[in-house]
Amino acid sequence: LPGLDPLSAVWVGIICLVFSSRLSTMKAASICPNDQTGCHLLPLANLFDRVIQHSARMHGISDDLHSEFELYFLPSKNQIGRVSRNCHTSTILTPNGKENAQRIAREELAEIILKLLVAWRDPLWHFHQSMSQHDEFTNFSSNKSLEMSDMVHELRKGVLKVVEKMQMLGIISNSVGDTGSPEALLTSDSAEWRFMKDYDLLYCFRRDSNKIQNYLKILKCRIVPKHGC
Amino acid sequence: MAVSLSYDLLLLLVISSLDWSSTPGSAFLTDHNRMTSSAPVEPHFTECMSRDLETFRCWWSPGTFHNLSSPEELRVFYLKRNSPSSEWKECPEYSHLNRECFFDANHTSIWIPYCLQLRGQNNITYFNEDDCFSVENIVRPDPPVSLNWTLLIVSPSGLSYDVMVSWEPPPSADVSTGWMRIEYEIQYRERNATTWEALETQPHTQQTIYGLQAGTEYEVHIRTKMKGFPKFGDFSDSIFVKVTEIPLRESAVLLTLVLTFGVAGILILIMLIVVSHQQRLMMILLPPVPAPKIKGIDSELLKKGKLEELDFILNGGGLGGLPTYISDYYQDEPWVEFIEVDEEDADCGEKEDQKSSDTQRLLGLPQRSVGCFSADSHPDDDSGRASCYDTDLSEQDTHLLAASLLPGQPEDEEAFLHPDEKAPASETNKSPLIQTESEGKPTWINTDLYAQVSNVMPSGGVVLSPGQQLRIQENTEKESQKKGTLGEDTSKLNKPQFQLLVVDPDGSGYTSEITARQISTPPSSLVPGEGYQTIYPQPMETKPAAPSEPNQSPYILPDSPQTRLFAPVADYTVVQELDTHQSLLLNLPTQQPPPPCLPQHPLKAPVAIGYVTPDLLGNLSS
Repeated sequence: LPGLDPLSAVWVGIICLVFSSRLSTMKAASICPNDQTGCHLLPLANLFDRVIQHSARMHGISDDLHSEFELYFLPSKNQIGRVSRNCHTSTILTPNGKENAQRIAREELAEIILKLLVAWRDPLWHFHQSMSQHDEFTNFSSNKSLEMSDMVHELRKGVLKVVEKMQMLGIISNSVGDTGSPEALLTSDSAEWRFMKDYDLLYCFRRDSNKIQNYLKILKCRIVPKHGC
Repeated sequence: MAVSLSYDLLLLLVISSLDWSSTPGSAFLTDHNRMTSSAPVEPHFTECMSRDLETFRCWWSPGTFHNLSSPEELRVFYLKRNSPSSEWKECPEYSHLNRECFFDANHTSIWIPYCLQLRGQNNITYFNEDDCFSVENIVRPDPPVSLNWTLLIVSPSGLSYDVMVSWEPPPSADVSTGWMRIEYEIQYRERNATTWEALETQPHTQQTIYGLQAGTEYEVHIRTKMKGFPKFGDFSDSIFVKVTEIPLRESAVLLTLVLTFGVAGILILIMLIVVSHQQRLMMILLPPVPAPKIKGIDSELLKKGKLEELDFILNGGGLGGLPTYISDYYQDEPWVEFIEVDEEDADCGEKEDQKSSDTQRLLGLPQRSVGCFSADSHPDDDSGRASCYDTDLSEQDTHLLAASLLPGQPEDEEAFLHPDEKAPASETNKSPLIQTESEGKPTWINTDLYAQVSNVMPSGGVVLSPGQQLRIQENTEKESQKKGTLGEDTSKLNKPQFQLLVVDPDGSGYTSEITARQISTPPSSLVPGEGYQTIYPQPMETKPAAPSEPNQSPYILPDSPQTRLFAPVADYTVVQELDTHQSLLLNLPTQQPPPPCLPQHPLKAPVAIGYVTPDLLGNLSS
């Protein structure tokens, strides 16, 4: 480099070496000096935490939107409303309780989460489109719907990464598919959600985001129980 | 109709009798319409609640018009809408005492809508569409347990403090597995206040309350809710927080504050005083160094090194000379001899100080306005002469200088008259004396006993300093006054108490004793040998007197006793030899007639000052 003294170049080189060595050690050992039990799972636990936080935020946004919708539509007393209508994701078999969630296999749980996330990708996008077209909705709501649909995408990617990591660590088997059955399942139900009203859509998504959040939490505490469960 | 009326009455009775407070929590269904209306109220569910997201309970009320014969008549059926082919099922667990239906974990499904209905006898069904719900929406977590507080910090004044409140999550809520994510809300109030202060909901199990007042007791309680869901649980039991005041500390703080401000104020005052009286303080603390005492000279000039100006001032600045205040300034210092350079001859004449006049004559300074020279102007005592020798002097100055050696001239009659009280006649008599001199006139005022010999002529004459001239003049005047009365010579002779010296008109400055004798003997009758008389053997050469009236020539010729008497003689003579009579022999005077015309050598006297340079001597001699 022009204008670079040999002395400063030497210093830069030394610093680079030091950092690279540190980075390599980080990659290799990943914070664990020796192979303690559970120590190598720390990055996985951190990944789980981030994903759970993401899902919590998604649920919060869906809750806000739902509450806002209730102002425009009928204010239900116990937030049930027209429950008779089923959500399009009802076909997906999901554990309905804590024990059930703890009992099923980890792979299955992970797969359910992914199914849900995939199922909501298109409907939320369309929901956002319809929201932006309506004039009575404020910008706040429109931004939230866009954010919601983006978050579903990102959360799905995050969960996929977690699954990959788990498969890499050998915690779960490689049976968890990504683009396999969820897509097939979705196509069969693709028509259903188009008939849902916006309000029902919001209600269903609010419910499903809560499901996702809970499932992730349970999954984390089943796989990495020592890290903040 | 009748049935409805009876039902209404029954309802009213039931409402009045029922204890609504027994139902846990707030009303699940906001059935204000039903309560306020007088219409009969059918059996309904008051509330369904879940504490831990795993189980839930429902409470019902029978209503107003229902036959309350047996509580077991009403039955609870629920429907789980998780499949289209679901059917109504009965409550798994009854608690008829509380009119409560409890759903345990096996019968609880989350995220699945439940619908409940009451069925009475004869399969009368009381169902409301609004009674459908999902369990996650009805969760009201239990309040936290194990509340306690610790004092975090007390303010320096001791008036307020911060408190850290910590607690445990409710045991029923499964927070550890993350199944429930709970948020907490703290509320506090003063002991006897009515309204609560609420802090922001947060998920941690401890929180700090800031700004509590010392000495006041506070009541604190906490409630919980599920994150993302709106319903709060009940409040926990209250705890009481109190910190007593520490008055000593407070007073100490106040004292320190007062002291600090007082000291600061005093310092500011001192600073202001110092700044305002800066000049005086500087004078006191750092007195100025005394300036050099050079009389008449501004020390600033010396500092600046302006020698030209200095010289100008010292040289009289056009005969101006130095101001006279200097003598007054340094009067108390006798060791300082000031020879003032004055324009006025009067100043020189007024100088009563004999010393100065003596000094002047000693130095041979001309009494003329050229004048009074400052001794300080030149380093050595003869410095005054240097200015006299200053070639820059004008011709007039030279005339003056010359005239200074001669008897006074009529130009300065006043000055001339000043030293002695002369009759106007003497003036006239003096006038020839004065007129004998050609020009410009030294004053004969300062006539002293002593006169310095300015120069000694090779012919034997002596050039006297002006002082001598004046004295001589005095004598001459007196003699001339009483010319006619020779008999009074004695008186005249008696008068002069001074000493006369034989002066060689050649300017040699010496007189021989013979001359002295000659002078002295004839006047022995005249002068009973009292003092010396200045005799000018050849007064002509040194004194350009105009012998217009030889009779009145001021100079006493050696022949005449008068002349002998009044021959100007220098104050000092040099002893040539000792004769046999142990008498001093001064310079042999040359027997020469007194030169009638003194003015023959009128201008030959730049010698006038103390010494004569060889050049001037040559002038004189020629």
